[in-house]
Amino acid sequence: MTNETLFSSYSLLPDTWDEMYASKTKIRQQYDLISSFLKNTSPEVLYKKEELSKQLFMSQGVTFTVYNDNEGIEKIFPFDIIPRIITSNEWQKIDKGIKQRLKALNLFIKDIYHEQFILKDGIISSELIYACPNYLREMVGVNVPYDIYVHIAGVDLIRNNDGEFYVLEDNLRTPSGVSYMLENREISKRIFPGVLPKNGIRSVSNYPNILYKKLSELSDQNNPNVVLLTPGIYNSAYYEHSTLARLMGIELVEGSDLVVKDHFVYMKTTNGLKRVDVIYRRVDDAFLDPLEFNASSTLGIAGVMASYRKGNVNIVNAPGTGVADDKAIYVHVPDMIKYYLNEDPILKNIETYQLAIPEDYDYVSKNIEKMVIKKTDGSGGYGMLMGHEASQKEIEDYLKTVRENPSNFIAQPILRLSTAPCSIDGVLSPRCVDLRPFALSGKDGIDITPGGLTRVALKKGSLVVNSSQGGGSKDTWVIQ
Amino acid sequence: MLSRVANNLIWLDRYMERGNSIVSLLKVNFYANQDSPELFPWAPIIKNYTDFDNPFTTEDAIECIDYMVFNPNHSNSILNIVTRARENARSVQEHISRELWLCINNYFLFLTDKTLSKKINDEDPVAFLEKLKSFHLTYLGTMDTTQERGASYNFMNVGKFLERVIQISDFTALKLVKIATTSDSLEQSFYWKNLLLSIGGYQLYLKKHKSTFNENHVITMVFKDKLFPRSVLYCIDKLNKHIQMLIEIQELEKNNLDFLIGKLESTIKYTTIESINEQGLENFIKDIKEDIKSISLSINTVYFSYSS
Repeated sequence: MTNETLFSSYSLLPDTWDEMYASKTKIRQQYDLISSFLKNTSPEVLYKKEELSKQLFMSQGVTFTVYNDNEGIEKIFPFDIIPRIITSNEWQKIDKGIKQRLKALNLFIKDIYHEQFILKDGIISSELIYACPNYLREMVGVNVPYDIYVHIAGVDLIRNNDGEFYVLEDNLRTPSGVSYMLENREISKRIFPGVLPKNGIRSVSNYPNILYKKLSELSDQNNPNVVLLTPGIYNSAYYEHSTLARLMGIELVEGSDLVVKDHFVYMKTTNGLKRVDVIYRRVDDAFLDPLEFNASSTLGIAGVMASYRKGNVNIVNAPGTGVADDKAIYVHVPDMIKYYLNEDPILKNIETYQLAIPEDYDYVSKNIEKMVIKKTDGSGGYGMLMGHEASQKEIEDYLKTVRENPSNFIAQPILRLSTAPCSIDGVLSPRCVDLRPFALSGKDGIDITPGGLTRVALKKGSLVVNSSQGGGSKDTWVIQ
Repeated sequence: MLSRVANNLIWLDRYMERGNSIVSLLKVNFYANQDSPELFPWAPIIKNYTDFDNPFTTEDAIECIDYMVFNPNHSNSILNIVTRARENARSVQEHISRELWLCINNYFLFLTDKTLSKKINDEDPVAFLEKLKSFHLTYLGTMDTTQERGASYNFMNVGKFLERVIQISDFTALKLVKIATTSDSLEQSFYWKNLLLSIGGYQLYLKKHKSTFNENHVITMVFKDKLFPRSVLYCIDKLNKHIQMLIEIQELEKNNLDFLIGKLESTIKYTTIESINEQGLENFIKDIKEDIKSISLSINTVYFSYSS
């Protein structure tokens, strides 16, 4: 039985790049195999496969808990079974572009916390750095192993209507979502038996091994003790923390499991204290050490920063990397690439207006219906203003807040995010997607797992892909 | 092993074992209560598992089962016990087998399914309790066949057997209160039979002693039988073995733990049925519970000894 209804009402969005359709009737070559598989699958079977995927996520506990009236409700991060497919050429460019970017960003962070050449040469203004809430004076002059600050990055890319990938955010702190990349692939293997190898899709399963290698290489100890620090089971990304610890075979610890003694970090075990050499922390800078940052934090370890500065323990990612993924700094990444590497950026930035500059502010306020305004230190899709859907009053109120502290805000034109087909109520419909590949930096260079997390705005017409705001995800296939 | 992990593993199994015992108790009492509600009321069961100031009570079987299984404000409801067991399991996922995690997560998902609580009203309550029981049996079997025999396994078993001794002692004490209210030996035999059913030893008793109820035989079986997996002696023996293993692999300190558990084992082994009767069974149980408490506290010091 064939399934023509599935494809029947796919209407391309105007002026938007579609990942599957080159034109109304022509399917891009990389989607040939999957679309013929789908055409030969009856709607009932497809529905069963979708149910199967939900069940798998639920029963394996790939969930986060939402608390309501003292009752915990288990939710899954919605998964759309139709994969997003990237060609080998496209991937090559992404791979090169991200590596170039991370190289420059790493040099920038090192520079900012040491000699500050880039400020002295007037490429970036000092005010911008010192006003950035994620700039940590505690990191000034601290040397870190192999000069690597950003060991793990999850760069967000979007594809504009010109078919090019643009960098939306660099995510240099504790990017999450990699467990979904791994989990989505496991489920694809069951939903599309045989299709992955026939398509020559590159594997993602090596990620935990590479991560462990990079983490353990940071320590000068033989057989170092690497741990993953989690805020605990009530954190929405707990599943990811637990999965990564399990896949790497390392201990998953909470702040209260660790203690600092004589400037060394130890974990409290049933047979005494055991030294910790590398901490992959999934706790934000502010909560890392109550002696230096947020004093009321119970998620961190008192004294860990002093131990870190002495080189007795490694913290991954290094504290203070947030200065480089601030949205006000983002504007200058192309300048950094030029300054540190003397290269032209391979991946473009999105045109960004700094509202502290009067001309930019004027332009943005006049063209507000085409703009999205963001806080420079915001994330997760919160605190944004989408010009085309806000009321006059919302716009006025928002601009009033902007004027109070304009350097805290940037504006970008509302983008035409590319669309990919999603199976919604038994038919394929286009939904906006982005792409978050995961890059690991270590002493031997940068490795990027081919693929990453494709996030989907499941609400029709929505551009917000964040999981906290109705987003879902897809498996991402990169062809060999 | 991290102290917190050891603690969570112990509690994972304590909760699962407690749930297991409660489900058995509810099922046995459901049958007995249908026969003679005055001999086997629900109130003492509710009282045993709730706080001293809990105002709720009922003699309606379905209402009681619903309360004991689903009530969110009852800290020992199966729902709460399994939720806590799952939280413990979740926080130690890297230390338990994947299969064991799936097993307990599925039990949790089964219990939190919104359509479920309606089922005990509309369907056979015994079938419902048996379904719950099957999750516990699957849990025990999965642990036995998939969990490597390292520190995790031993800590989980410590939790399981500690809790089991407590549950057996509690069940017996509950029955003793009832037995003391009557001098009718037939009625007393009902209570003893009910105790054996609740802890799952009725079948073995019949095989050994046929259908004659003798108080001394029952006490001997519940407390001193070496081969019955739910006798106090059997559980203490297992507890001792797992603690010895942990001491051997240096996950527990000898301290006086060694002494406490050895003393308790000897007491149970070498106290004759005559001397139990002489001191009174309730006092004997009280002493066992005191000793269990000291053992539990002594294990606890392991977690706290390194917290600065």
